[in-house]
Amino acid sequence: MKYSKLFLLVTAALSLTAQANDIVPAPKQTAAILLQDATVHTVTNGVLKDTDVLLVDGKISAIGTDLAVPAGAQVLSLQGKQLYPGLIALANQLGLTEIEAVRATDDSTEVTQTNPDIKAQVAYNADSEVVPTIRANGFSYTLVYPNGSLIMGQSAFMQLDAWNWKDATVVDAVALHIKWPRADVMPNPWRPQKPEDIRKASQKAMTELEGYFKTAKAYAEAVGDGVKLPVDSRWQAMIPVFKGELPVFVHANDERQIEQAMKFAQHYGFALTIVGGRDAWRIAPQLAAANVSVIYTSPYGIPERADEASSQSFQTPAQLAKAGVKFALSLDGYWDTRNVVFAAGQAISYGLSPEQALRSVTLDAAAIAGVADKIGSIEVGKAATLVVSDGDIFDYLGHKVRYMWIDGRAVDLNSRHKQLHDKYQQRYQAKN
Amino acid sequence: MIKLRLSLCSTAMLCVLLPAASADQTTPVQGIRDKSPQLYALTNATVITEPGKRLDNATVLISNGKISKIQKKADVPAGYQTIDASGYFIYPGFIDLYSQYGLPKAEKDAKAGFGRKPNYSNERKGGNASNAAIHARQQWVSEFKPDTEQAKSYQQQGFTTVQSARFDGIFRGQAFVASLVAGLPNQAVLRAQANQFMAFSKGTSVQSYPSSLMGSIALIRQTLADANWYSQAYGKDNWRFYNQPIEFNADLAALAQLKTQGVVFEATDDQALLRADSLLKEFGLDKVTLVASGYEYSRIEQVKATGRPLILPIAFPAAPAVQQLNDQLDVELAQLRHWERAPSNAAVLEQAKVPFTLTLHKLEKPEQFWPNLRKAVSYGLSEQKALAALTTEPAKWLGLDKQIGKIAEGYQADLVVSKGDLFADGEIVATWVRGQEQQFTAMDLPVFAGTYQLSVNGSSLPLELTDKKGSVEGSVKLGDKTSKLNHVAVQKNQLQFALDLKALGQGSGVAQFSGELKGKTLQGKLVTAEGTIVAISSLQQPLVAQVDQKKATEKPVLLSKVTMPNRAFGVTQQAKQQNVHIKNATVWTSAKAGKLENTDVLVKDGKFVKIGKNLSTPSGYQAIDATGMHLTAGIIDEHSHIAIDQGVNEGSDAVTSEVRIADVLDADDINIYRGLAGGTTTAQLLHGSANPIGGQAQIIQLRWGDSSDQLKFKGAPESIKLALGENVKQSNWGEDFVSRYPQTRSGVDTIIRDAFQAAKEYKAQWAEYEDLSSSERAKTAPPRVDYRIKTLVEILDKERFIHIHSYVASEILMIIKLADEMGFNITTFTHILEGYKVADEMKAHGASASSFADWWAYKMEVQDAIPTNVCLMQQQGVLVSINSDSPDLQRRLNQEAAKAVVYCGMDEQQALNMVTINPAIQLKIDSKVGSVEEGKQADFVLWSAHPLSVYARAQQTWIEGIPYYQLTADEQLQLQVKNEKQQLIQKVLQASDSEKAGSGASYKANNPVWHCEDNHDVLSVAFGHQH
Repeated sequence: MKYSKLFLLVTAALSLTAQANDIVPAPKQTAAILLQDATVHTVTNGVLKDTDVLLVDGKISAIGTDLAVPAGAQVLSLQGKQLYPGLIALANQLGLTEIEAVRATDDSTEVTQTNPDIKAQVAYNADSEVVPTIRANGFSYTLVYPNGSLIMGQSAFMQLDAWNWKDATVVDAVALHIKWPRADVMPNPWRPQKPEDIRKASQKAMTELEGYFKTAKAYAEAVGDGVKLPVDSRWQAMIPVFKGELPVFVHANDERQIEQAMKFAQHYGFALTIVGGRDAWRIAPQLAAANVSVIYTSPYGIPERADEASSQSFQTPAQLAKAGVKFALSLDGYWDTRNVVFAAGQAISYGLSPEQALRSVTLDAAAIAGVADKIGSIEVGKAATLVVSDGDIFDYLGHKVRYMWIDGRAVDLNSRHKQLHDKYQQRYQAKN
Repeated sequence: MIKLRLSLCSTAMLCVLLPAASADQTTPVQGIRDKSPQLYALTNATVITEPGKRLDNATVLISNGKISKIQKKADVPAGYQTIDASGYFIYPGFIDLYSQYGLPKAEKDAKAGFGRKPNYSNERKGGNASNAAIHARQQWVSEFKPDTEQAKSYQQQGFTTVQSARFDGIFRGQAFVASLVAGLPNQAVLRAQANQFMAFSKGTSVQSYPSSLMGSIALIRQTLADANWYSQAYGKDNWRFYNQPIEFNADLAALAQLKTQGVVFEATDDQALLRADSLLKEFGLDKVTLVASGYEYSRIEQVKATGRPLILPIAFPAAPAVQQLNDQLDVELAQLRHWERAPSNAAVLEQAKVPFTLTLHKLEKPEQFWPNLRKAVSYGLSEQKALAALTTEPAKWLGLDKQIGKIAEGYQADLVVSKGDLFADGEIVATWVRGQEQQFTAMDLPVFAGTYQLSVNGSSLPLELTDKKGSVEGSVKLGDKTSKLNHVAVQKNQLQFALDLKALGQGSGVAQFSGELKGKTLQGKLVTAEGTIVAISSLQQPLVAQVDQKKATEKPVLLSKVTMPNRAFGVTQQAKQQNVHIKNATVWTSAKAGKLENTDVLVKDGKFVKIGKNLSTPSGYQAIDATGMHLTAGIIDEHSHIAIDQGVNEGSDAVTSEVRIADVLDADDINIYRGLAGGTTTAQLLHGSANPIGGQAQIIQLRWGDSSDQLKFKGAPESIKLALGENVKQSNWGEDFVSRYPQTRSGVDTIIRDAFQAAKEYKAQWAEYEDLSSSERAKTAPPRVDYRIKTLVEILDKERFIHIHSYVASEILMIIKLADEMGFNITTFTHILEGYKVADEMKAHGASASSFADWWAYKMEVQDAIPTNVCLMQQQGVLVSINSDSPDLQRRLNQEAAKAVVYCGMDEQQALNMVTINPAIQLKIDSKVGSVEEGKQADFVLWSAHPLSVYARAQQTWIEGIPYYQLTADEQLQLQVKNEKQQLIQKVLQASDSEKAGSGASYKANNPVWHCEDNHDVLSVAFGHQH
């Protein structure tokens, strides 16, 4: 294997006994990088064996066999290795929560249920110890959203190797996120409640949500007509929704919630994506017909209902694919985001094709986040965001991730985990 | 309305005060003595003297509260008030053995309980027990006051006698038996001392302990042991083992009588019933009656095997809400099944010859009793059994069968008078208790219902009257015109009404009628609008009877299955052990032989008997072609919380080593089946991590469809959960939990040390006691059996093994040092996410480790967790396993093991061993399971691919040569569930209102998914479900 200077530099950084926040974001790509003889998973053009990919100025500039080495290029042989687009994990709290149980480290959830003006990315901690561990499993991007109730706020698409949140932000304001009111009356073992009381509470929340939208729409129309109104930052933030510029991502798992959200979206004329989608398999054809995408967050879910098959959550991705629903996979957490790649692998063993599994964490995820023109596949002109694994990246037996570039920048795959591992190995080496 | 047949009484109030001439035994009489004769004759009745014995046209003579005679003749001696009961049925008064009649209701402190500050002690007064849920000393007769309103609600259903104690707490106190007569309690009491009532619910107790079902069971066990001790120790020389006198304890003293007193134990479901039975059997309690739940049909063999008589509520669930398509998603098959089957429960018990009596308990409204009982009869309960369960059986159980329960000479005059046969459509019109009549409907009321002809001004107007429970309505139809009667007033046989004749085209306004029904003739006058008076006399003709669409006698056809457990994916018939020949698999032995390609395995009588290549199939063996498949040992999970009922933590006291997961196994948990679907065959069910010394663990095999007892891994050694760190010092429990010792890791060290020191002293005390001569022993108060401490002695004696929840390096070193100092061993550190930092110290102690593959960052103490932890520990020679701690991961532990291959390049066979032989060694069951070797129990999984690949799916999971899970069968089951559910939904949609009617929750509440740190007071939450 040939290593360029760049990679030696990276390796040198690894040997320092460093804290995670000493892991330095990679500098802008200056020299061309030629990746040779890889098995290239293009997403859009199948799997190409023994193929070269040239990265110039942060973009993919050529794909082919035996590409000429440009002057000054760094060359890396990837013979026997697999080259994928950098993976994308949508809808989580990466960088917003550091330690769930320590309140001071949690910036995921705001109070009040009218927060359309909340922007998740301003709380994104680029120095999070968690983020490098996600990169190490092949993820280059995330979509972070603010949690809460009803109108939760706006998500942003972030790249995972950055100095700060501004640096990390790829797309500001990807979508407005709404947590849909409950539609079921299943009892919570911890809080015994009568079905009629649950129903009443859901109805109340639904009425409130409708009220907010009516208010926001009237506000938007008034502003559109040039009426001078005192600025209400909440309704101001929703104007793009009514202009069709800001899609709405509705967090909903129950079939009935999803149906309600679809009607609501139709009424207000916004583009809808479902986040959650535990029951999406039950109405997959309707979702496909209405062109509603799904960020499916239960690839490891326990069946929600006692009568559902043990493997229901595992087979849902295959059922969505079969019906023609566009979907991405997510685990909607933070530290466990690194397992999304294995969840995609497991979906394959429950009927999803490997091509569709790959799309669900690359191009289709990019499409849902509105960045498919730049990100998500290995095509000339797209971002030089790539990841290299020893074998099948979805399988434990082949997953080992070796390299990652984001916009042609060679990302350090070190992490707190590797550093602690190295540190304590030294303890035992010193003893022996 | 209750009408007392005491003519001298001017008001109902007076009647209550002076109900009978004999009320003045010890109570000085105020005013004039009431000596009214209490002599009544009910004549011409159909008398059911006892179940199966019927006398027609009989007369019952009642004399001063007793039945003096039953005769065929209607001639009544002089002095008797005669009541014509022709057309009426008379039954013996009913007896309810489970009530809280006449007692003040328990009130819960609104400031305490769920979501409130913890409360670790009980207010001590009067020698009460240390736990607030123990009311054993309470003799409820001392609080008893007859309550006419309550009594009426019983009497209206025909009940005349109850056994009563307050439904509050675990030991609820001693009940009494009383007649439901008005007047002095002194008179009403039939037996002042009856059974002790018990339950698992702590009721209104605000003490934190117990907070779980297993805690409740442990408290009962300790209390019963204490009662035995107390009766031996109290009053004896005690200075040898106690440096103060043996305490006075009123509750323990009361419980000394429990064997003769007898117990009525309320069970909330079928498994609770079995638990109560075995718990009380531990203490040799034979005189036990269990209050059933209505779920007995689903485990009838086990219920029968208890040999216990039951008190059976007949509350049935309402049909699940499937009427709206949108609601159907929230309905489970189990609910639909229970709705359909619940009315058959009594019949199933009768067929199984389980003795039972009936109770009003659990009915939302007492009026549901007779409709429900009739429903039970239509589902196959015999009328004779039903009546016996209300009369002779409970009388016998109470030992009062010479006084009540029958209509016989000399018996107390407790009678139920019904218009018609109660088991058909009879209606109870009166109940007699000790010769006092409580009348609900007058027996001599005229029946106005019928058709009449009113002749007015030459026209004949057809009048139709209906008569429902004293409320008369009517109308006149003439041609296409109808006029409803207005202002209808009835008093006895007097009838008045107004009739709009104009509406009928018969006059200029409204006519008014006043008259009476004499025999079958309606006589009176009609005054027309014009003032004309028309004399009316019309013969009553019967109404055309409406035919009931469904015959009540038709026995319902049941569509639902009864499975084990009785829910979706339950089994109708348990799979049998099979001799199989698995051909041409890749066999991962998890033993010295390593991985064997193209290998055959023979399984006989539940064991692996041969492993080799190209074996021939012995006769009688089923051959399975496993070409392309991989065979591994069944997956073993060192740390699981599935199949646990009502609480994973006894999260109250800091040391709770007395609680046992074994007491609360939940064979109904669907997670057993789901685990099998992921290849898991064995799991150690651990207590949670809410306290430094938690409860006793139970190793189970995932034998889906078997009983809780059968789940237990036979011959597995005992183990226990200890815990360190944030959970036990309550770091993340919220502001209310800052008072329990310990709140620091240092305090954890000292409290565990203190507990083991106590165990050493306890052991020494007992040794000293055992060494005493028999004469010395006879006069010495023995040490008390303390299950909490005794469990720790078992640890010191190497009879019980520690699995300790632990994360950070400091606490790992602390506990190792403490264990070395106190002389116990840590068998396995579980979670142990910083084990990689101190692996050599763990190795030196001889401890093993069981970890998560990659969990971290969810709380402070896991901030240094790394996914290469298992490799680093293994490299230092520590035996390492991977556990699930969740029903989710339990379905894919092979994948969790595979992460060691990803993150630190662990050898594949070693990685698989982390979920097979290594946990078997940690659980000390490796001589039986954990590897594929000749002679070992045939627990194995057939995988579709390399078992560490993300693409591997368990095709079949076998335990001891029994196929408990097969993917193909699972697909069939999914279809069956769907079809059965569809059929039952149709049944609900087509059901009549009365078939759909019911009360309360439609099925047992599901347990939540338990986590280590779930420390909620489960019993407090459960209390919220109760009335």
